[in-house]
Amino acid sequence: MPRKRKATVVALIGAAAILLGLWLIIRTIGQPTGKPLNTLAPFGQQAQDIQDLTIPVFSVAGVIFVAVLVAVIWMVVRFREPDDVVEGQDEPTQTHGNTPLEIGWTIVPAVLLAVLAVLNVQTLLKLDDTGENPIEVTVVGQQWWWEYRYDFDGDQAPEIVTATQMVMPTGRDVTVKIQSNDVIHSFWIPSLNGKKDAVPGRTHELVFNTENPGIYEGQCTEFCGLSHGVMRMQIKALPPAEFDVWLANMTKPPAQPTNAAAARGEALFVGQCARCHEVNGLTPDSTPPFSYSDEPSPSYGVEVDSSLSSKNAPNLTNFMMRQTFAGNLLALWEGDAATAVVAVPGDVPGAVPDKVNIKRWLRNPQDVKPMDAENNQGMPNLNLSEDQIDDLTEYLVTLGPATRPAA
Amino acid sequence: MAITEERPPLELTSGDLPPVEVETLGVFHRPRSTHGWASWFTTVDHKKIGIMYGFASFFFLLVGGFEALLIRTQLAVPGNKLLSADLYNQVFTMHGVTMVFLVVMPLAAAFANYLLPLQIGARDVAFPRMNALSLWVWLFGAIFFNTSWFLGGGADGGWFNYAPNSGVVFSPSHGIDFYAVGLIIMGIGSTVSAVNLTVTVLNMRAPGMTLMRMPVFTWMTFIVQVLLVFALPVITVALLLLTLDRMFGATFFDASAGGDPFLWEHLFWIFGHPEVYIMILPSFGIASEVLPTFSRKPIFGYPFMVGSGIAIGFMGWGVWAHHMFASGMGPISVLAFSLATMFIAVPTGVKILNWMATMYGGRLRFTTAMLFSIGLVAMFTIGGLSGVTHAFAPMDTQQTDTYYIVAHFHYVLFGGALFGLFSGIYFWWPKIFGFFLNEKLGKWHFWLMILGFNLTFGPMHILGLQGMMRRTYTYTEGQGFNGWNLVATFGAYLLAVSILVFIWNVIRSYRAHRRNPVNPGPDPWDARSLEWMIQSPPPEHNFDEVPVVEDFDEFWHRKYGHDEQGRPVRIAATEDVVQKGDATGVHLPSPSYWPIVLAAGLPLIGYGVIFNLWWALPGVILMVAGIYGWVLEPSTDPSAGHGHDDDHHHDGDDSDAAALDEPADAGTADGDGEGVDADGSETAAEPEPAMATASAEAQDGGSK
Repeated sequence: MPRKRKATVVALIGAAAILLGLWLIIRTIGQPTGKPLNTLAPFGQQAQDIQDLTIPVFSVAGVIFVAVLVAVIWMVVRFREPDDVVEGQDEPTQTHGNTPLEIGWTIVPAVLLAVLAVLNVQTLLKLDDTGENPIEVTVVGQQWWWEYRYDFDGDQAPEIVTATQMVMPTGRDVTVKIQSNDVIHSFWIPSLNGKKDAVPGRTHELVFNTENPGIYEGQCTEFCGLSHGVMRMQIKALPPAEFDVWLANMTKPPAQPTNAAAARGEALFVGQCARCHEVNGLTPDSTPPFSYSDEPSPSYGVEVDSSLSSKNAPNLTNFMMRQTFAGNLLALWEGDAATAVVAVPGDVPGAVPDKVNIKRWLRNPQDVKPMDAENNQGMPNLNLSEDQIDDLTEYLVTLGPATRPAA
Repeated sequence: MAITEERPPLELTSGDLPPVEVETLGVFHRPRSTHGWASWFTTVDHKKIGIMYGFASFFFLLVGGFEALLIRTQLAVPGNKLLSADLYNQVFTMHGVTMVFLVVMPLAAAFANYLLPLQIGARDVAFPRMNALSLWVWLFGAIFFNTSWFLGGGADGGWFNYAPNSGVVFSPSHGIDFYAVGLIIMGIGSTVSAVNLTVTVLNMRAPGMTLMRMPVFTWMTFIVQVLLVFALPVITVALLLLTLDRMFGATFFDASAGGDPFLWEHLFWIFGHPEVYIMILPSFGIASEVLPTFSRKPIFGYPFMVGSGIAIGFMGWGVWAHHMFASGMGPISVLAFSLATMFIAVPTGVKILNWMATMYGGRLRFTTAMLFSIGLVAMFTIGGLSGVTHAFAPMDTQQTDTYYIVAHFHYVLFGGALFGLFSGIYFWWPKIFGFFLNEKLGKWHFWLMILGFNLTFGPMHILGLQGMMRRTYTYTEGQGFNGWNLVATFGAYLLAVSILVFIWNVIRSYRAHRRNPVNPGPDPWDARSLEWMIQSPPPEHNFDEVPVVEDFDEFWHRKYGHDEQGRPVRIAATEDVVQKGDATGVHLPSPSYWPIVLAAGLPLIGYGVIFNLWWALPGVILMVAGIYGWVLEPSTDPSAGHGHDDDHHHDGDDSDAAALDEPADAGTADGDGEGVDADGSETAAEPEPAMATASAEAQDGGSK
């Protein structure tokens, strides 16, 4: 029957076109380069577990997708009404149904799904493991940045408080305890694991484990207001030895600034910034000569007057140990130092702090990240003069080991 | 109910009862006009109400579509500054709410209102005035909601408005107040409508129209109404709590004060997931009418189609928390909802396979309506399959809140629901308006739309899998999102062009019809169900005589028998089977002023709640007046003419109905049309008012 043959030919062409299209897409979809948030390029154990479920499920779905589309194409050609149709001739048989067939195509998908359900449950249980001898990091989401608190001695007072860039060792379970200071956020590092919401009043756990050192990008994925779209974060996974270097540097306060501009900047910091931002030991009441303390105050956001902005602001004690700031929107270092997988970015040969970016932020933070400080959401524009901005920048770049005197 | 004097007991009449004097004690006369623009405001005719639902929701489709274009334009290139983050958040929130509550639901309601009585052989819905009330309440609620644009900005928390971001601390503008109060108002309209249509289906079917002979569209609409009756109270409660939190300092969702943000999430999705089926099932019903008609075959496996619809309706209540796999609700809940969600794919898959089996072996005629229905089958399959992929909770933790989800639900709601609704528009347009839409332009519309649709939402699968987050006002270079976003934006403009082609089609077809009216006749597609048995457009009284139904696809079986191979054989000419639409004096419920008056009070109360409670006073007065007017107005005005008789007969006076009203139920139905003076005689008119009053009372009685 020529009509049948035509239908088969068209359906085959359709199938070829669909398969070609799918192949073109699938070929590159798992590539991590240039796609820092790619969900199909796992670098961690948990993300790999998810990937191992994704591939069979997508394969089954893909086969059904192609089959249905090709069948529709085939029928559209095969059963098209002829141009010379006459009523009463070649009328279609009035089939009302076929119960065994219909029971069949109710049961077959159900069985198929039941098989996949086993994989589903296995993966779920695997991901629910709390991890062996894990390092615990408390992750606090807030409009519109992430804070990380490391409490190694378990005294509820964290030894390290930092923001935006979380650092973890490779080859070891890391359990993050996700909390929120204001609205619901979602912590998501797609290369390492799926996402988990940060809900006020609750603590949710998520486990990361990776063998691959690297910097993995993340993005808040629960709508959290004005700047949700640019609420980003990173996890830097370091080999254990490097991680220890990071820990050692982070638990030491920086040295007091020596040059005059930076010293003016420090006074300015105490007067303006310390109302919200902590540098361990500095408070708005501090008077010169300034000195730093070893540990962050656990209740900085509560004790300090924060009528200007949100209750909490990033702890800046070892600011220059980070590689990005402003919710991961701006690089803190020029060139490779911003992306190198190292414990101390200042140690990267030729590392230069990106003062242009820092000044851009200080000049008008809301130009980089939309915020509403009048409604206590985010950082206000402090309307600093250019001189003040220069001094403050000189001070901020001293906050870290990179500028510590060689002695 | 009218307060009337004593009247003789209800009897079935042979037309020989003596005249009964009915004197109404109600203070108001009911409006009489069924023609002219003013009649649209007082009509209780389900067909006019359906048309108004349709045009209003199409208007909102343009509004929501414009918002969509703003979104796509903003995201065309990285770092675009067309919209501020604040404005963008308002635009995508308003787009979502508009498309769900102001477009897909009411457009489906337009078809439900118009077609449901026709498909079951009824003269109107069970409670005609309540039907008008639901339209006006919904429309005023929708307008109220959109006025937020001019009163401080739209809602900005996403259509799901998760607490506590929706609280007054984090969203101090009035946008979310308008969202909460507006949706409560629209919910009242939908609830009223759902009760009304449920009763209509259960009580108003023509004799012989058993439940398992109802067209699939009626079945799906019926399931939707039942879902609505149970789902809307949940969202109403949630919105009320939100309103109390925002305006009166309650702390239902404030964790620091003992509340719980999860309470909102659960309440919202217990409504929100059935809502998905509320939006898609009507279109499943439409495709189940269109595919058989243009395949010249009955729907394959009618009991399975109905059964799978019911199964979806039931299972739809047990899967809501799959929207919360990443919320941290705990592994047992995740496991249970993940498994339940996987298996809801089974009845949905049955539907797709049955549609394909309907086409198999048929003789397919590719009208625009057919193309849109086939488009639905193909596009919904994609949306359904991507839905199954995030039923797997571990995968969902990577996919949720990315553009993969955006792609998924647009394939379901646009490729599924909206394609089905456009299919229905082309299919029933000649029935409703008495002229065809241009098929050539229709095909342009279809091909542009399916191309634009796939270009817009197809790339979003890839963007989402590569990590592009939802509800983001921008993205930056280096995230790998540039190329596909540009494609999606191009597709969105193509979609806009396809909508313009549709509008142009309506205008052109209407003009052609005005120049040279050619009535498509009652049955332009050689279709199957009862609405095609009456004239196009249908007379106000729908059926000259209420048909007695003996079969599923009753109208088809009146036209065709079968030979021994089961092929159709013409047994009667269509002209001989269809009704002429010339019955006179059929008693119909009178129009009423009160539904629109009552409804008008609600938005005023809404403004009062938001801005100043004193402003609610006029709204309360209007509502009270509306309720009293409603109760006190005569159930039928004895001095008014009824029915469509003024259309064809201007020889008569304003004598009252000579006919039985529509039967209250199949058991007592006047199936052989005894009550209708089919020969147009109105001389025996007088005896009926008691009957008419009694029936109208039966109809309106439940609305008190």
